[in-house]
Amino acid sequence: MLLLLAQLVVSPPTHFAGAAEPPIRMAVLQSDIHQLAFWVALEKGFFIKNGVSVEVAGIFKAGPEIMTAFSAGELDMAYVGEAPATTAVANKAASVVVVAQVNTEGSALVIAKDNTAIKSLADLKGKTVAIPGHSTVQDFLLRKALKNAGIDPAAVNIIVLKPPEMISALRTGQIDAFIAWEPHPSKAATMGVGQNLATSGGMWPGHPCCVLVTDKKFIAKHPEKVRAVVAAHVQATDYIRRNAEEAIAIGVKSTGMDEATVRKAMQNVHFTYELNVEGEKEYVRFLSELGLIRIENPDGFVDQFLQPKILREILHK
Amino acid sequence: MSIRLEITDLKKVYAGNTPETDIDVFDGINFSVQQGQIFSIVGPSGCGKTTLLRLIAGLEEKTSGGILLDGKSLTGCDAQVGMVFQEYALFPWRKLVENIEVALEIKGMAAAVRRTMAMQYVRDFGLEGFENAFPKELSGGMKQRVAIARTLIANPQVVLMDEPFGSLDSQTRNVMQEFLLKIWEERKDTILFVTHNVDEAVYIGDRVAVLSPRPAGILKIFDVGLDRPRNRTGKEHNRIRSDILQLLNASAAVRPPS
Amino acid sequence: MKGKRIIPPVLLVLVWQLLSATGVIPPFKLPSPVQVAAGLVDLIVTGMPPGHPLHLHVYYSLQRVLLGYALALATAVPLGLLMGWSRTVCSMIEPLVEIVRPIPPLAWIPLSILWFGIGIKSAAFIIFLGAFFPILLNTINGVRGIEPVLIEAARMLNAGRRFFFLNVLVPGAMPSILTGMRIGIGVGWMSLVAAEFTGVREGFGLGYMIMTARDIQRSDEIIAGMLVIGAIGLGIDACLQLAERHLIRWR
Repeated sequence: MLLLLAQLVVSPPTHFAGAAEPPIRMAVLQSDIHQLAFWVALEKGFFIKNGVSVEVAGIFKAGPEIMTAFSAGELDMAYVGEAPATTAVANKAASVVVVAQVNTEGSALVIAKDNTAIKSLADLKGKTVAIPGHSTVQDFLLRKALKNAGIDPAAVNIIVLKPPEMISALRTGQIDAFIAWEPHPSKAATMGVGQNLATSGGMWPGHPCCVLVTDKKFIAKHPEKVRAVVAAHVQATDYIRRNAEEAIAIGVKSTGMDEATVRKAMQNVHFTYELNVEGEKEYVRFLSELGLIRIENPDGFVDQFLQPKILREILHK
Repeated sequence: MSIRLEITDLKKVYAGNTPETDIDVFDGINFSVQQGQIFSIVGPSGCGKTTLLRLIAGLEEKTSGGILLDGKSLTGCDAQVGMVFQEYALFPWRKLVENIEVALEIKGMAAAVRRTMAMQYVRDFGLEGFENAFPKELSGGMKQRVAIARTLIANPQVVLMDEPFGSLDSQTRNVMQEFLLKIWEERKDTILFVTHNVDEAVYIGDRVAVLSPRPAGILKIFDVGLDRPRNRTGKEHNRIRSDILQLLNASAAVRPPS
Repeated sequence: MKGKRIIPPVLLVLVWQLLSATGVIPPFKLPSPVQVAAGLVDLIVTGMPPGHPLHLHVYYSLQRVLLGYALALATAVPLGLLMGWSRTVCSMIEPLVEIVRPIPPLAWIPLSILWFGIGIKSAAFIIFLGAFFPILLNTINGVRGIEPVLIEAARMLNAGRRFFFLNVLVPGAMPSILTGMRIGIGVGWMSLVAAEFTGVREGFGLGYMIMTARDIQRSDEIIAGMLVIGAIGLGIDACLQLAERHLIRWR
């Protein structure tokens, strides 16, 4: 017994591979195909291979809840939408930084399957379109795309609906279109309810979507652990790109959706770890203009919020 | 004077699970009440005095026998029969005068007309000033006066009173007896008055029926025959009283109240 | 003395402000009363989302509640009177009631949207479900609680069915009915806010407002919104209490 205690004092606990270290508390969103890299990393053991153990501290229904969990000190890292992370930090509710991108694109503007009246974005004038929330990337995408098509967003009846309700609202003609993240557009297609009017990548190529974030205190204390997770994330993302079929299978398992939906959804998602800095700056400016956040220096904020240093070190190796 | 109410061979049985557990309340009661009379009924507790009234009222069904009002058979709750309950049973959500006029409201009488009539009763019954009070604000004696007014305003052919003064203290009780007699002098309603108080039965009634313990039958009907106003402490009054008490004691010895 | 009743809440707010100001409660965990007050001003002047001021959210939420609650009253009271009076009717309908009652109104949201869309009808349905059962059950109890001797007195006075229903059952059951109404509006109001969380076609509603504030982590506005909701709930209950005091002044 004394020998064991002596060993603990003399050699730091990392020697006991995983056993004495508390696992990294991570969160993901439920049934979100964008965050497939996390499940791939878990399944293929990439976290362990990089020397850390990870605990799924929570599977959340929505981004804002993940940010609240960060405020409560319940999480170390998370896969989360860049939108809720941005607003949380800008409104000083949580203090996290972004260490890698998780995906870009991966949303779509959906109209009813049998709709022949709407052929382009311009036809949305005077119609009812549902967005998942006022501060979401999808909200921004829609307004940006409308403006590009020469339509004033105020001429469109934009309402907020939760994505599960969007498909039934479309089917019953309550709305003319919706814009949401995968897999909802694909689900609408496989259910025979909807068709894509435009993909988000078509509306704004390479727009940011989900990111990998870490609590500021955590990265200050354990930069090596953050590095390990980012490395695992990079490996998982590459793995998805190279092993599509296996990735789809893992996607089916982790989202609970059928294979056809997952396959279609994944075609619309661009899995990447490279940070889209310009895209985030544009998004922050959008939030400021709408009065949803109040920061004096949007670009300065982004420079603080996005921390690509660890990612770059890993990629240069 | 004609017979207003006739009871012939009235039987009431509460059926039990087996014939042995049947409860015989009455084993063939017979009596008649003259029009304009006050007919008192006394008996030991639990003998079924209240049940007798409820059968006549139509609140419960007789097992066999005849209940005739002016020669016609009574079935169910007849409008011709009125009842004053021991618990007053005033509608607590109605003001005093609104309680009195209920029967007229049910008849469909116009609001102004029935209010005038009810207010007359308010004055006659010494309730002036309280017409807009709710029952919760009234004393026991007042509540019973309202209950009696409510019944009498409909001019029923027979008025059943089930221990109407039982909840009152003895002082108020005497006052209420005087009150009832005064009203009756003017109206000459036909009243069946159930009580366990022998003194009250003799003071009020023209005739007093004495019931035996269950299964109840009429032991004897006394003719009081004294002029009113009566002397509670008078010799005749006391004699009838003690006769009745003796009768009740004797029957209790033979068949103790069950 | 009525003044005494506001002392505990005022004390609570002062302690809260003190704990916030001294940093015992960090602002991201719970904004201070001052911040919440500022958030309330924001909700009134700027609105959440910006351009959607508070009074319009209140207006639309109240509309939905009014519709759903009126429907609940109109169905639960007559049905409750009937079920309280007739054992036969009660035994026929009660099993159905007992199966549906435990289902939280919120669980009906997906079906409600499917059947009634995403407008006021759907929200009114959710509120209806919340308010219906307390009113029904209390009405039934109210009828059953009427003193039997009052029923007999009415029979002796030759009351017809209509008179009996309107002048004995309803007033007799009224104390319980009012209790049920107060509980019902409470449950209904709570159900509304949650029902609005999923989204509303009109773009206004208190639940919708709070949801939007929550999306961007404006906890000062979230709490201000919660206080507004609580205050309105309190106000509604106070109104009902006033009505109750008048209607049952005979008690």
